[in-house]
Formats: sequence, structure tokens, C-alpha cells
Amino acid sequence: MVVFDEVRKIYGPDSVGIDRLSLNIEHGEFVFLVGPSGSGKSTFIRLLIKEIDPTEGTITVGGRNLNTMRRSKVPYLRRSIGCVFQDYKLLPGRSVYDNVAYALQVTGESPRGIKRKVPEILSLVGLSEKGGRMPTELSGGEQQRVSVARAFVNHPRLLIADEPTGNLDPETSIGIMQLLYRINRTGTTVIMATHDREMVDKMQMRVIALEDGRLVRDQRQARYARADEGPVGSSPAR
Amino acid sequence: MRLRVYVAEAIRSSRANVAISVAATVTVLIAVLLLGAFIPTFLAVQSTIDDQKAKLDISVYIKDEATVQQVQGLQNNIVGLESEGLVREFSYVSKDDALAILREQLRDESVLDELASNPLPASFEVLPVDPADNAQIVGQLEGHPAVHEELGVEFEAETTNRFLDVVTIVRWVMLGLTLLLLVAAVLLIGNTIRLSIFARRREVEVMKLVGATNWFIRWPYVIEGVLCGLAGAVVAVVLLLALKLGVVDPLSDATDSGLSDDGTASISFFSLALILILAGAVVGAVGSGITLRRFLRV
Repeated sequence: MVVFDEVRKIYGPDSVGIDRLSLNIEHGEFVFLVGPSGSGKSTFIRLLIKEIDPTEGTITVGGRNLNTMRRSKVPYLRRSIGCVFQDYKLLPGRSVYDNVAYALQVTGESPRGIKRKVPEILSLVGLSEKGGRMPTELSGGEQQRVSVARAFVNHPRLLIADEPTGNLDPETSIGIMQLLYRINRTGTTVIMATHDREMVDKMQMRVIALEDGRLVRDQRQARYARADEGPVGSSPAR
Repeated sequence: MRLRVYVAEAIRSSRANVAISVAATVTVLIAVLLLGAFIPTFLAVQSTIDDQKAKLDISVYIKDEATVQQVQGLQNNIVGLESEGLVREFSYVSKDDALAILREQLRDESVLDELASNPLPASFEVLPVDPADNAQIVGQLEGHPAVHEELGVEFEAETTNRFLDVVTIVRWVMLGLTLLLLVAAVLLIGNTIRLSIFARRREVEVMKLVGATNWFIRWPYVIEGVLCGLAGAVVAVVLLLALKLGVVDPLSDATDSGLSDDGTASISFFSLALILILAGAVVGAVGSGITLRRFLRV
């Protein structure tokens, strides 16, 4: 689904985003991307949606080479990738329903298709009753659910979440995680960048750890920290 | 199908950003209002200049006692000047013609009925190619035996020169004003658009992340620009119409009631309104379309 081959992204002489990163994420996987701030997680995600281009190396998403992809094709790439962000990135001044509908309008979906699909996805994320609300009238967790609904309404094969629980309390975070897990079970590849140690430890999924733009660990059914590093601040018996 | 989505988006967006939509509309309104007041003024001034220029002719008065041969000779001289390229055209005005012309110019003709005989001389009315050559033409015709001793060859050198100076100044002032107006309008509109786009930077960013194509994002803004431009232009035209009916028309009626009737050409209000409304729409569309480009490179 996602292949990075010797990818480098250099912002400036002293600023390296990603350094010689090679990895392969299979279709249907659930992957945690971990690492301290500035380790290159955001760069990784921005490269995936071709917001920026790599300095060196090749990136392939869903069999499409991003290096040779023309600018005009980028919108179509993004429609095949759902994105969830820490700050939700909802369209202000639009109701929950309209925010989700926008992702469908963009693809040229018919009004009838929109009327059918939006309520469907809103009920999936548990917001059936709040379609008419404005984003500002919702709690953080609810806004993030709208964001997930919008990301998933086109049934993309890849869903990227950048610190989706970063602004949420633990209980609300679990709800969002369950949602992402369910989406993954439908066959969608999920890549989630996070700092949430507890969540990663609980889920026991593949963990890709970055540090200073370099891959330091890529482990299946893993925890946030390496076993021999010892748990920091959380009990090992979870 | 798409068009409906775009128009709905445009209306939604202008409602959501009322303050900015109003600012853009008012900006177009002011620019169009200035333009609308300026175009007729410019045309009127130009037409007055042309009108006055046509009046800068030379009158060659003929004495009543001149023989037919003498008048013929004088005419030949003028024909000569015509073939040299100094004279554009000339015409013979008989004593009766001169009286008829005067009668036409006066509103109250009764004053002429008091005259015992026709005191007006016959004349050749000579129109120069360039009023600046008047002195040369006069020099060639003066002293001819057919020319009236007292009235002679008449042209007002001082008036002509002064008039030509004024024309030059007026032209430059007009040009300067036009440029100033254009610059002001462009800056004003550009600024407003930048303001409105800046307010939507985040929105555009999110749209791009969801996979909207550039044109899918741009069309609603362009339509919104057209709507604001149209609204501003229409209000400006209404204001101009009110100004025309309330102030300009009564004033020009007042000046027309003088001794003479002047036929200054002017643009019809309908075509002016059409031009202005069209200009408003185009400015709105192009303005928002172009300014958006910078923000679409995400």
C-alpha cells in the first residue's frame, strides 16, 4: 500500500525532515508511527499526501509513484487517502452534515448519493443526531468524529491520522481509537502518528519508531517503547 | 449539475462572510461610481473641445461693393490654400444667409424686425486644417480688393491660442485623473480581495486536503466575486441614475435655455450602465480568481 524507498527530505542545511527512510506498509495494516516531536512523523505524513516532495528517493502509494505524479493529479490521490488531524481541520461555518458532504461533492457525487451516504457515515461515528450542528457547538471528541467521518465517507483504501487523540482526554480517545480500529477491520490501511503511549501499548499493533528522521524500530505487535528500554511511566502488565 | 453546487457554495460563502462580501461590494460600488461619473464628463469635455475647434474658423468678410470678378478672385485664392493643405473647407455665406444664421441663433427674433436693411456682410467662412496655421492663412488673404476694409479677415488669434493651450492642459489633467482613478480602484479592489482570501486561507487549505481540484475550489469564489461585482455595479448605476435625474439633467436644462443651442454629444445612459455593470462583474471574477492562485499552491 505504502512503499518508501531511501526517502530523504531536507528542509534546509541543518534541518532534516526524513533521512534515508525505507519501509513497506501492506494493504490492511494498522500502523503506529511513534517518536518524539521533530522526529519526522509530520514530514512522513505530508510526504504521503504529496503536500511536499522528497529531496531524494521514491514514494509509492497504492501503486502510484508520487515522484512522477503531476500536480493536477494530486486531488485524486488525496481522495483515495482519508486524513484526520489533531486540530480536526473542519470547515468553519458549515454544519456537521455539510462538512462530511463536502468530501463527497468534491468527487462529483450525485445529490442522491450524498443524501444516502452522509447519514450512513454519521450513524457509524455516532453523530446521527448532530448533523445540523456547527463544529463550534461540538466537543473536541465529537469534532474529531466528524473529521473521521469525513475522512472515511469515500471509503479510502488508506487512512492517515496525525495525533488524532492529541487534544482529547483518555476516555474520548478510546472512542476515537475504537472507530479507527473498526475502519481498519473493513480493510482500510490505517497509519496513525501518535504520542499516546498507553494507547499504543494497549493496541499491540505494528510500531514504526522514528528519531531525527531515521527509522529506529519497525516491529509487529509492539509496544510504544522497546521491551528492553523498560516502561516509562506506565505499568508493563497491561 | 456542478454549476448548481458552485452557485450554492458561492451564496453560502458570501452569507458566511457577510462583512467581507459587503466590503467587496462597496469597493466595487465606489470604483464604478467614480468611473460612471467620469466617463460622461470626459466625453462631454472632449465633445466640447471638438465643437469649439470647429468654431475656430476664419471669416473673410466681403465688402458690399465688391464686383463678381473680385469675389471670384478671392475664392480662387482660398481654393489655392485648400490645395496647399492649409484649408480643410470653406463656404460662401451671402448677406441673406448671414441674416438667417443670426436669426436662428437668437431666441427672440423680433429684434431683427427692427432693422431697416441687412447690415451683415457676405463672407467666406474658412475652416483651417489646423487652427495653429490661422495666421498664415490670414496673411495670404488680407489686402485682397474684395475684402471688407473695416471688418477684413477676422480670426481671434488670442482666443485661438489660448483655446489650444487650454485643450492641451485639459487633456493632460484628464489623463492624469484617469490614471489616478484606475490605480485607486485597482488598489482598493485588490486589497479587499486579499482580505477576503486571507480570511479563507484555512478553508482553502482544508478543501485541498479533502481532494478538491483547484477549479472546484475556485469556481464558487469566482461566482461570489461576480455576484459582489454585479451588486456593487448595480447599486452604483442606480445612484448614478438618481444623480443624473436629480442634479445633472435640471442643470443642463438650465444652461440650454441660453441664447444658443449646443449639441454636445454624450453617451446614452443605457450603454453606460451596461458597460459599468459588465465591468463590475469582470473585476469581481478576475479579482477573486487571480488572487486565489497564490493560496491554491498547497
